[in-house]
Amino acid sequence: MSSENNDQSIVVTPSSTTSQQRTILVADDESHILNVVSLKLRNAGFNVICAHDGNEALEMALTSKPDLLITDYHMPGLNGLEVASRLKQSETCKNLPAILLSARGYNLNEADVRESGISSQLSKPFSPRNLLSLVNQTLGIVA
Amino acid sequence: MKFKRWFEWLAPICVTGGLACLVADGDPALSFSQPTSVAGVALLIGGCCSGLIHYVSLRRSVRTLMHKAGELASGRSIGIQQLTPTEDVLGELVRTFNDMLGSTERNASDAVAAMKELRVQLKVATSQRRQAEAIIHSIDDAVLVTDRYDEVILANESASRALGFESSDALRRPVDRVVNDAALVGMIRDVRQGKGTNERRVFEHRVRRNGQDSIYKVTLSNIRDSSGESGGVVGVLHDSTREIEIARMKNDFVSSVSHELRTPLASVRAYVEMLIDGEANDDKTRREFYDIIMAEAVRLGRLIDNILNISRIESGLVEIKRVPVSLTVICKEALDVMTPQAKFKDIRIEEQLEPAFYQTMADKDMLYQAVLNLMSNAVKYTPAGGTVTLRTAVDEAAKKVVVRIIDSGVGIPSKDLPFVFDKFFRVEANKNVAKGTGLGLSLVKNIIETVHKGKMMVSSEQGKGSSFGFELDLC
Repeated sequence: MSSENNDQSIVVTPSSTTSQQRTILVADDESHILNVVSLKLRNAGFNVICAHDGNEALEMALTSKPDLLITDYHMPGLNGLEVASRLKQSETCKNLPAILLSARGYNLNEADVRESGISSQLSKPFSPRNLLSLVNQTLGIVA
Repeated sequence: MKFKRWFEWLAPICVTGGLACLVADGDPALSFSQPTSVAGVALLIGGCCSGLIHYVSLRRSVRTLMHKAGELASGRSIGIQQLTPTEDVLGELVRTFNDMLGSTERNASDAVAAMKELRVQLKVATSQRRQAEAIIHSIDDAVLVTDRYDEVILANESASRALGFESSDALRRPVDRVVNDAALVGMIRDVRQGKGTNERRVFEHRVRRNGQDSIYKVTLSNIRDSSGESGGVVGVLHDSTREIEIARMKNDFVSSVSHELRTPLASVRAYVEMLIDGEANDDKTRREFYDIIMAEAVRLGRLIDNILNISRIESGLVEIKRVPVSLTVICKEALDVMTPQAKFKDIRIEEQLEPAFYQTMADKDMLYQAVLNLMSNAVKYTPAGGTVTLRTAVDEAAKKVVVRIIDSGVGIPSKDLPFVFDKFFRVEANKNVAKGTGLGLSLVKNIIETVHKGKMMVSSEQGKGSSFGFELDLC
């Protein structure tokens, strides 16, 4: 991060495994969401990779093996639940934690959500602060 | 005649006198030499004659009386002439008979008068009942009246249509044979039997006819007679299908509006939050964020304006000023406004306008808004280098004027075409081509169809372009 950065959201503890090393895959068809989320997470020290649809997300996850998946539900191609399900069934990504960004108006069956390996949901519109704290919580990082 | 009174006594007196004379004689042999014998015989004869005369006269009186009585007995009671009372023993009887005649005649007249009045009242009551029935038969709501034996005593046209029976078949038949709806019939029975504390029950009831469901608001009232017994049930069924649909649409509209308004607001919040948390690391990013926040705020404002506009027009709050308006003039004005934008996108605009003297009675501002919206859409959804054509055409025979805006833009998928005029509807495929509130076309449709009684037209081919138009009556 550049030195002009007066960002106060990064707390780097000397001895812990810093968030610098974690990679987060963000999947959403709306580019402004991708922009906001990646900026927030990068500023927090994460490495962020972006996918614009379900198929791209699946491919990137299997190739890059991120530490966390943040995915939208409604996307062209595979939807967020389908992506998470397939990753859960894969060898490489079966333990990948996943956060679902759910839009209002899609009544998703709770059981289906759990089945696909989604560990938590955040409904849109969400606050970037809340997303960061959920990310930290999921990855067991004390921020 | 007082004379007649003594006549009564004359006969017995003479006879008695005669007999007395004959007896006073002392001589059993009747001889006409003695004066008393002669007197006696004369008296006897006189007495018998007067008795006979008296008898005849009495008989005549009796006969007349009998005759009159006979008339009375045969049923005549008015106009029987009274008898003149004789001065004999029957006189009293005759007088009494006359009195009786008099009072009988009075009673009969009273009875006739009373009957006439009752007939008139019956006519009035019948006509009032017919009028009430006519009223009941003409009302829109279904009316079904059953008696204490659950037989139909009245069913109007709407009831036979709603519940599917012939009204001519229904009268005096058991309601469960007439109405093929066990639930409804059951409710009628329950209300009549006074089950539950309510004498009136109101509930929603679904009726299926010809494969379509209608929802009725049913009111069943138990009618009690003077002795407190149930006299039957009056049922009124009000078709509230449309009302319920409208209420649902209003609900949906409110939900949609809330959602649509929250979306730009949520964007503003997210970006402001990012700025507060210092996530915008450099000027470029900050500038980007400010622009986005501004654009979203502007969008929110426009959205609110559009929603208010539509609501006001739809609820009739907007004053419509109808004047003769030339569509050609309006199109030219809209063109002037759109030309810079079109030029910026390198879009060619073609004008094919009829002469300005063809006019329609319309609200100038509203029509201008409609044309502008359509033109704005055409330019928004046409990529650089495309064409937008603005055409007016007049059909003098049909007295119609048609406006068409044709673009060579992205087009609309056929599955979305039926919905383009719906509020907040945005074509999924084109969401990334241009921003929109989803209200522009809804407003146009409202202006053209609801306010001006015109007709909207649209045709489109995805990837090739769209043609939006409307038709209005000429002045």
